[in-house]
Amino acid sequence: MLLASVVALNLSMPGVAYGQSSQAPASDPTSAGKAVFAKANCMGCHKWHGNGGGGYGGDALSLRKTELTREQIIETVSCGRPGTGMPFFMRGAYDETKCHGMNRREASAQMPPEGGTFLRTKDVEAVADYVIAHIKGAGEPTYAECVAFFSNTSRVCDIYKTQAQKPEDAAVGAARSQ
Amino acid sequence: MERLSGHARVSSRARLLAVVVAAGGILAVTPVSAADEVTQDRLLNPGKEAGNWIHHHQNYSAHRFSSLKEINRDTVKNLKVAWTMHLGGIEPGGIWSHGGLEGTPIAENGFLYVTDGWGSVYKIDAHGGRGTLAWKMDPKTDRDWAGAVACCGVDNRGVALWGDLVISHTLDGRLIATNKETGQVAWQRNVADPDKGEVITGAPLIVKDMAITGVAGAEYGIRGWIAATDLKTQKEVWRTHTIPGKGEPGSETWKDANNSAAAGGGSTWVTGSYDPSTDTIVWGVGNPGPDWDNAYRPGDNLYTDSSLGLDATTGKIKWHYQHTPNDPYDYDSVAENVLVDIPGPSGPLKLALEADRNGFAYAIDRSNGKFVWGLPFVKKVTWTKGLDAETGKPIEYDSSKQVQTYVASVTPSRTNMETDICPGNMGGKNWPPTAYNPDLKLWYIPVIESCNRIKVEVATPDKLKPREFWTGGGPSQPFTITGSVTAIDVTTGKVAGKMETPFPNLGGILATPELVFSGQPSGEVMALDAKTLQKLWEFNTGGGVNAPPMTFSVDGKQYVAILVGLGGAWDKWFIDATPELKKIQPGSMLYVFAL
Repeated sequence: MLLASVVALNLSMPGVAYGQSSQAPASDPTSAGKAVFAKANCMGCHKWHGNGGGGYGGDALSLRKTELTREQIIETVSCGRPGTGMPFFMRGAYDETKCHGMNRREASAQMPPEGGTFLRTKDVEAVADYVIAHIKGAGEPTYAECVAFFSNTSRVCDIYKTQAQKPEDAAVGAARSQ
Repeated sequence: MERLSGHARVSSRARLLAVVVAAGGILAVTPVSAADEVTQDRLLNPGKEAGNWIHHHQNYSAHRFSSLKEINRDTVKNLKVAWTMHLGGIEPGGIWSHGGLEGTPIAENGFLYVTDGWGSVYKIDAHGGRGTLAWKMDPKTDRDWAGAVACCGVDNRGVALWGDLVISHTLDGRLIATNKETGQVAWQRNVADPDKGEVITGAPLIVKDMAITGVAGAEYGIRGWIAATDLKTQKEVWRTHTIPGKGEPGSETWKDANNSAAAGGGSTWVTGSYDPSTDTIVWGVGNPGPDWDNAYRPGDNLYTDSSLGLDATTGKIKWHYQHTPNDPYDYDSVAENVLVDIPGPSGPLKLALEADRNGFAYAIDRSNGKFVWGLPFVKKVTWTKGLDAETGKPIEYDSSKQVQTYVASVTPSRTNMETDICPGNMGGKNWPPTAYNPDLKLWYIPVIESCNRIKVEVATPDKLKPREFWTGGGPSQPFTITGSVTAIDVTTGKVAGKMETPFPNLGGILATPELVFSGQPSGEVMALDAKTLQKLWEFNTGGGVNAPPMTFSVDGKQYVAILVGLGGAWDKWFIDATPELKKIQPGSMLYVFAL
């Protein structure tokens, strides 16, 4: 897919910097997983908050409401979900390594799409750890979560602010005539 | 009369500014001359400067027709690349892995003004048979903020010119005026609000010293609008909502108890046209939301899926014509309306032509919004058996019904939760613009020959959240999608020809006296015979054509220019319908051709 080249491009572009600058403190073992979440474009369908949702691209499942275990998440990322749009991210999936007991031929029309980038086992584990620690079981997205993901260089998080957090934006709001 | 005094004010002010700026020594280049200022008078008479292309749609009538004919039926075989220029703007942002190019270049006195998907404006000196970048204005678009609520790509369709300024939009909702000589931002104004799911992808339309802005976001629960900004004061003159407020005419067509109208969609993201003889802006309105669950919003849902005639001075709606009432298909009507006058049985017919996502081409009387003729321009239509000859409504339309079902066996609904429709939800015809040859009276439509599968998800009020999709379902692509250039004889309202293409037409059309130019997302730019649609010339750009061609002249020589860089909705949401296009790489490049 097109994603492949874009992700490759990403590595040499400032785009990846936001992932790094906004990483959780070094003490957080899941910071590497957040970088994978951005790099592998999980957010393209599941969104930054993991809630996924329908829309033009069908329905990416909510990772906040998922009941998958760490091992099941690792398998899903590695092998994709047959018959859905969830891609596989493991090099050699359905070739050298059977997935869900199937190779390419056996998967046939159920073969999931190939991810835009391949992830090493340690990256797949890292992103699973990140989902478990920061997304699975979380309620509605919050401002703190959003800022932790994006840093505060974008207005993307503003809608999650509570009223008390908003005064500094009053001038911006007022500038827009209705 | 208002118009005339308005011009006088602008040009004298602009001249004064130019003098002041030059005297202040800010300009290192040639001072702006009055001849370079874009006035309403010039915008009304683009035919007087045939070598330029000063409107997004070439003229106020949206003809996209140039009278230049050095490149013609006989010479086009010698057309070659004159020069190219790499642009930027393919960076990721929000849910998008890259940007694309959908813009129409503007050409004035040998300079081109183009945009990339993130709204950077490039001024390019095209003199001397080569392209030299004069300046680039990067608006520093907030990519994560805007890109997360852009349903259909990182897109910007181009600029407009006014006075000594270049007027442009950004995806994150701004209207920006840039000094044409220096590339410095003169001023900017927030017009749309991504916090509400609003973004801007269209080019501004300049009418009487106002910039007219349309908005996108019907997939995110916006209430659409068209807004006019006074370019002299930078203040809003009017903002007309495309969904009526409570108690306003048309509000009775939203019959639910959920206040669905407040998030009812009705985007306006394609630049409209303008009829100066009646001071009427004609602008298309997009789909209702949620897209595929029309039982959530019983009623006809005005003014979604409609063409609107607006008083340019006040923004007041003069007339409307709705194509797909209570739309359950995402068959929006944002497309440009092409204004054409042809002889009729009792005097001249003043038509507005629109090629709709729903697969039908319509001619409306633009003096009153009445239906004149309509016909399918795609090969396959399944959602209706046809249009009523009198009203132009789908023949299954039943005004006594609150929820329309049309051909119920294929129509998405709460009792038909997964179904295949033709055209697919991209159309028909999407934003890529048509072109009209006034000599031949032929209207050329860039067609997506398609079907796709729709899965309905029942909408409930709790699912409506700021900045989240509000679609009531979604499409998938089990069918191969192709395309065509389809010509309609406007005097008869009949299809005059169809040139089929392996891929959907995602770029749009340019017409010249003897030729039609278009492109393919697989990379080809092509020239067709204007009468027969026979292919006369083709060049493979090696990228994906997702933008309209245009033509201009400089130093007495004609050029054809086109932006190349596949982006938009297709390669994220619809690529499975054209698997061969998966190999097309993102890119950002301007191609300029000459003999």
